[in-house]
Amino acid sequence: MVFSTPLFLFAYLPVVLLLYYLAPLKWRNFVLLLASLFFYFWGERIYTVIMLASTLVDYTHGMLVDRFKRAGNMKKARMAVASSMIFNLGILFFFKYWDLIASGLQSLGLSFVPVLGIHLPIGISFYTFQTMSYTVDVYRADAKVQKNLITFGTFVTLFPQLIAGPIIKYKELGEQLDQRTCTADRFAAGVLRFTVGLAKKLLLANNIGQLWDICKGSSSLSVAGAWLGVLSFSLQIYFDFSGYSDMAIGLGKMFGFEFSENFRYPYVADSITDFWRRWHISLSTWFREYLYIPLGGNRCSKAKWIRNLFLVWAATGIWHGASWNYLLWGLYYFVWLLAEKLFLGKLVNKLPGLFRRLYVIVILLVGWAIFALEDFGQLGRYLAVMFGLGGAPLFDPLAGYELRNYLAVLIVGILGSTPLAADLFRKLPEGCRTWARPVLLVLGLALCTAYLVAGTYNPFLYFRF
Amino acid sequence: MKHKQSVWITGLFCLFLGAMALLTLLLPPKKFSELENRNLEPAPKLSAQSVSSGRFMKDAENWSSDHVVLRDRWVQLKALAERLSGKLENNGVCFAGEDTLLRLVEEPDETQVEKNISAVRGLIDKTDIPVRFGLIPTAASIWADRLPAGIPTLDETAWIDRLYREFGGSTLDLQGTLDAHKAEPIFYRTDHHWTTLGARYAADVILEALELDPLREEELQPRTVSEDFYGTVYSRAGAWWVKPDEMTTMVPEEGIEVTSNFTGKEEPGSLYVPAHLAEKNKYAFFLGGNQPVCVIRTQAKGPKLLLIRDSYSDSLVPFLALRCSEIHLLDLRYYRLSVPEYIEDHDIDQAVVLYGLSMFLEDRNLYLLRR
Repeated sequence: MVFSTPLFLFAYLPVVLLLYYLAPLKWRNFVLLLASLFFYFWGERIYTVIMLASTLVDYTHGMLVDRFKRAGNMKKARMAVASSMIFNLGILFFFKYWDLIASGLQSLGLSFVPVLGIHLPIGISFYTFQTMSYTVDVYRADAKVQKNLITFGTFVTLFPQLIAGPIIKYKELGEQLDQRTCTADRFAAGVLRFTVGLAKKLLLANNIGQLWDICKGSSSLSVAGAWLGVLSFSLQIYFDFSGYSDMAIGLGKMFGFEFSENFRYPYVADSITDFWRRWHISLSTWFREYLYIPLGGNRCSKAKWIRNLFLVWAATGIWHGASWNYLLWGLYYFVWLLAEKLFLGKLVNKLPGLFRRLYVIVILLVGWAIFALEDFGQLGRYLAVMFGLGGAPLFDPLAGYELRNYLAVLIVGILGSTPLAADLFRKLPEGCRTWARPVLLVLGLALCTAYLVAGTYNPFLYFRF
Repeated sequence: MKHKQSVWITGLFCLFLGAMALLTLLLPPKKFSELENRNLEPAPKLSAQSVSSGRFMKDAENWSSDHVVLRDRWVQLKALAERLSGKLENNGVCFAGEDTLLRLVEEPDETQVEKNISAVRGLIDKTDIPVRFGLIPTAASIWADRLPAGIPTLDETAWIDRLYREFGGSTLDLQGTLDAHKAEPIFYRTDHHWTTLGARYAADVILEALELDPLREEELQPRTVSEDFYGTVYSRAGAWWVKPDEMTTMVPEEGIEVTSNFTGKEEPGSLYVPAHLAEKNKYAFFLGGNQPVCVIRTQAKGPKLLLIRDSYSDSLVPFLALRCSEIHLLDLRYYRLSVPEYIEDHDIDQAVVLYGLSMFLEDRNLYLLRR
């Protein structure tokens, strides 16, 4: 199920909230677990079994790690961690990357690995990472072992963040799973956050996304049209993704959870390094804590450090989807980040603020083109047009029309991706804000409902994750 | 945020969700949307099979989206929000100049078009009577000067030229005539059809091609039958702030006998069916709406004409009835038998294949022409 559907908003959510708050405290995790399983089953049916298997396997591994550690047998504990990782990476590899590797080999003339045509279970990239982090956290004593299977199941399946993150580490959520308080203050904060996310998705991401589709599909693309296209994609993916995160965080609050933030206005970053501290924070920190630092981080020789950086960014890239362009996208950032750390960062720091941001934006836009276009031929042609190669005209009437058509939405999108609106709101006197909140809430819900009911255009971008 | 406000906001949110859920569930379900002119999704059927195939989930999602309480109002709110945010179009309809809503035409599927044009060509080979072919451009093409510059819509002139060339036979220059009269209200501003006036100019082109006398002004008696017609393009755009259209007739019905066939049975029909003026889909006023076969018999001395047609012909027929002794209308979306046999069986003298261009490009039933 997707949050931005009438069925979720006007059937699933009210029913689940009602059941949750009617249930006695000690039954609430169980209600959430059943609700989450239903949520997943609705979209993925038989694949729910994989999630259940993953839950059982990691629950058992957590217990094993804990038992071996208590017995002082660190070697066995490490083996249990390794076994958990092999299982999780194994199912992730099989369901996500098998066909990519198989078809890659076949195109090289090696046909001993069959292409299976596997359907990627939604959210598998998110929940395998979460369960993997659990056994590691138990091993590192960052989290206590979870002995209650229902509580652990709730952690794995928790529907607010199940299909599009944020990736929540067990150590952040463990205590909240056992004990959390549901108050009107937290619920109301969740309502506002959820509505902001819903509006980002329905009013901005879906809207601007149509402009990207037009530019991508245009047979007579001009330089201006190509830049307009990647600009619209970069706004679409930001509002889509951060909108999902807002909805997840908001829903979490409604059920008494506090999830960590996933985005901090990434498009106002003043370096690529800074961008990656602001974009999909839960993923970057995951790779940092569970891959980069275990590999040695930067406390090793320069060559090893560069290798570590390379591995982390290759993994980050390919995590985004089973297609080679994502790997290229990850390596593209490896190159920029390495360059910034070695010499470029110092140079960029000397630039005035405006130019620093321009430098970041241009790199990001090119990056999004690599991300958005899976076919290398198409990507090559698109990049060529962006940089005026191959005789594309500077401007075309379609781009002019679409710019006019989307002008207001683009301006709102660009301003909306900066902290401006939030800052302005904070500067209002509390009396004003007291009035503004319910008015904006009702307006937001009404507009979202209108776009939800009227719109057939509601793409789900994360089917590759 | 103060605690009191938190309680307020929590209450507002729960009230909104709860009210939407309960009203949607408790109000009696509608089967048909007048605004959208389509059947709404029926309630999903729960069974082990439909759940395991995912059918049930899909149906339930469609159902919930089709039956949200106040659905039409939400659609209109979205249209307004789009307009206020400076959008120049909504749902494939341009908010064009002079309070006009113009449906934009997308690039067609080449293979379907090729099939269609060769089917029309095929009719020439299958019959001995003369066959003429006419394509009606949409208002977006004739009134292109009301569109904003650069808006993506099909180059209809180029497509009509190409299709006429590929047809190779005798064709009707409707585009030229409509162009010459584009300053007049020849299309509805809120519907995809031509107006009675537009059909009148088209009738002249067809009569000339059939070598019949042109219409004389004194034969025509303009009469307004409705002043609040909101057509299909209006519904699609949800643009409720646009003025309604006026609907007129020009040919009185006296001496014309219509045999309709709405349900597979012949029944006495009528050129004009005023009962439909009380409904949303007022265009069905002409001939009573879609039907597989409709036969018009007149007292005029003239040929027996077969018109292979879509709904544009509904308002055109009264003019042709002034010059033809019989007009047989076949709508291939509903008439599923052989056309050449129909020509044989009914002693037809002349045939005209007449389609709106956007309908023709997408039609999937023209193969019946040569069966």
